[in-house]
Amino acid sequence: MFRIRFHGRGGQGMKTASRILGTAFFLEGYEVQDAPRYGAERRGAPIFAFVRADRRPIQERGIIRQADLVVVADDSLVPVPAADVLAGCDANTVLLINSFQSAEVWRQRLNLQGPILTLPAMEDVEDRAELPYVGAACAGAAAGLSGVIGQTSLEQAIAEELGHLGAAVIAANLERASNAFQSLSEQAGLVKPGRTFSAEGWQTPDWIELPFEQADVSAPAIHAGLTSEAIKTGAWRTMRPLVDYARCNRCWWVCSTFCPDGAIRVDEERYPQIDYDHCKGCLICVAQCPPHAISAVAEHLAAEGVES
Amino acid sequence: MNETAFKNVKSLPSSHLLGTGTPMCAGCGGLEALHEIYDVLGEKSVFVNAAGCMTLLAVYPFTPFRGSWLYTAMASAPAGAQGIRDALDILKQKGEIEEEEDLQVVTLTGDGAAYGMGLSATSGVIERNLDFLYICYDNEGYGNTGQQYSGATPHGAKTATSLGLSGFAGYKKPLFDIWAAHRPAYVATVIGAEPLDLARKIEKAKSLKGPRLIIALSPCPTGWDFDPKESVNIGKLAVKSGVWPLKEYVDGQVVHTKLPTRRLPVVRYLETQGRFRHLFEPERQEGLLKEIQQRVDEYWAAVTC
Ligand SMILES: Cc1ncc(C[n+]2csc(CCOP(=O)(O)OP(=O)(O)O)c2C)c(N)n1
Ligand code: SF4
Ligand SMILES: [Mg+2]
Repeated sequence: MFRIRFHGRGGQGMKTASRILGTAFFLEGYEVQDAPRYGAERRGAPIFAFVRADRRPIQERGIIRQADLVVVADDSLVPVPAADVLAGCDANTVLLINSFQSAEVWRQRLNLQGPILTLPAMEDVEDRAELPYVGAACAGAAAGLSGVIGQTSLEQAIAEELGHLGAAVIAANLERASNAFQSLSEQAGLVKPGRTFSAEGWQTPDWIELPFEQADVSAPAIHAGLTSEAIKTGAWRTMRPLVDYARCNRCWWVCSTFCPDGAIRVDEERYPQIDYDHCKGCLICVAQCPPHAISAVAEHLAAEGVES
Repeated sequence: MNETAFKNVKSLPSSHLLGTGTPMCAGCGGLEALHEIYDVLGEKSVFVNAAGCMTLLAVYPFTPFRGSWLYTAMASAPAGAQGIRDALDILKQKGEIEEEEDLQVVTLTGDGAAYGMGLSATSGVIERNLDFLYICYDNEGYGNTGQQYSGATPHGAKTATSLGLSGFAGYKKPLFDIWAAHRPAYVATVIGAEPLDLARKIEKAKSLKGPRLIIALSPCPTGWDFDPKESVNIGKLAVKSGVWPLKEYVDGQVVHTKLPTRRLPVVRYLETQGRFRHLFEPERQEGLLKEIQQRVDEYWAAVTC
């Protein structure tokens, strides 16, 4: 059975990627499961989706813990504990990352035994509007690496899954997916159908009996305000707003008022200070600043600029 | 009340009370309105939240509020507000809290709850003259569950449950009128993209007693399908095209707080959002576009103040 997991952020099309790949496997005669999994969080937050494909009926249920292939659409997720990108990765897991960094850098960073590849197809993308296609690229790459899906099935799957979005959207996705598929042609078949698991070796956990507690003890009460600030939503950002203080005319704090997240503070000199730990990168400030003093820079470029 | 602390945009708060780090989408117009509202309302408030996107604001152990927050079932937030108000009144009566420790009780729900499931509970608390503030962030659909249509969905919009070429067949329910017909202390429409108008209305609502109800149109990048960065532009277009009239009901009178002198054509608003794309592509649906414009024109033709 093939077990494949896609990791990305809400809005990057991971659910679509899993559907495209699932349908492509199906067209090749496989039994298929595909499902997205996201918690209570929204666009920009980490989500994953997964696909199982087998020649025989699939009895396995639930999320995939040990995958044969893990595709990461957004490399900023790798260090995010909540994203759990590396869950169950071992020497048999192929890791494919959409990243500006090389596979070698990732190998050193992660110290993993299994093969690591980067997805070259999206390296040129700086425009946020292009990001939705990363899902199709991921699906195309996964199809290529499986070695059992032909390009025709991939294309048909895209047409089926995205049919409602119109010809232009399908064409753009097809192009992205085919590029990714072809760019990995040398590695076709690198991902091998994984091992079979059996219930035999399963050990029941040690149960701990919890005593009954009164509601005032056991109910989840929060005893302080503003605890949400512990959550660094800055990791959601793909583009970073930068203030050019020479152009800022210290207006009536337009950016600070409109920032939905309250992530822009006005300092004593009446200049805005962006809280990059929490700015989600919506870029409303860029659109609203009257003298156009705020510009948007791709996060990876901004991060490099800050480091150097 | 003509006196306002908000004389012009420069008197708007430059520091904010609502915490960062919430799980709302980037560019969420509902969160924008809430953070502007909270600045005026102040931290002596307690929120009662019905199921919806904003339920996720306070997921244990995290909260962006400075005070308490209670979660209720989707139809029951006004009833929850009644319980809290009663409890606060009893505590005051017993002398267990001082007058200055009293809190504003705020019901916070989406449109799904406000226009639909929670409408009867709201009707009940207005009837009982509950002293509370209701904030409905209206993203015109069941956002949290994937933007199915609600009683607030506009005619022609595509939702997860209205996918055809003509979009949603129903019409947005006139909730402002329904609420105002109950004769509460105050009803107003606001939008985060017009922060001065919003601040004045919250200031006024805060100064009154009894049921005070606010509807905030909340551009929703996820449900309406637009680039998050356009959130405020789209909010402004909603007002300038006359789609979202800014108004208030007080002392039995409805007054428009912004009369668009030169209304922009409604298509200028519609064409910014993916949920209306089928009105323009593959073929422009002149009939439907005309009908939508006509309804807006009829509304404004009847407006005198
Ligand atoms: C009685 C009930 N029915 C259905 C649900 C599932 N549900 C959770 S949030 C939600 C959508 C609520 O829509 P709205 O009030 O507009 O808030 P939004 O999600 O748009 O913020 C629904 C249907 C529920 N929680 N309770
Ligand atoms: S779905 Fe819409 S209303 Fe809900 S959090 Fe996202 S932007 Fe806000
Ligand atoms: Mg809603």
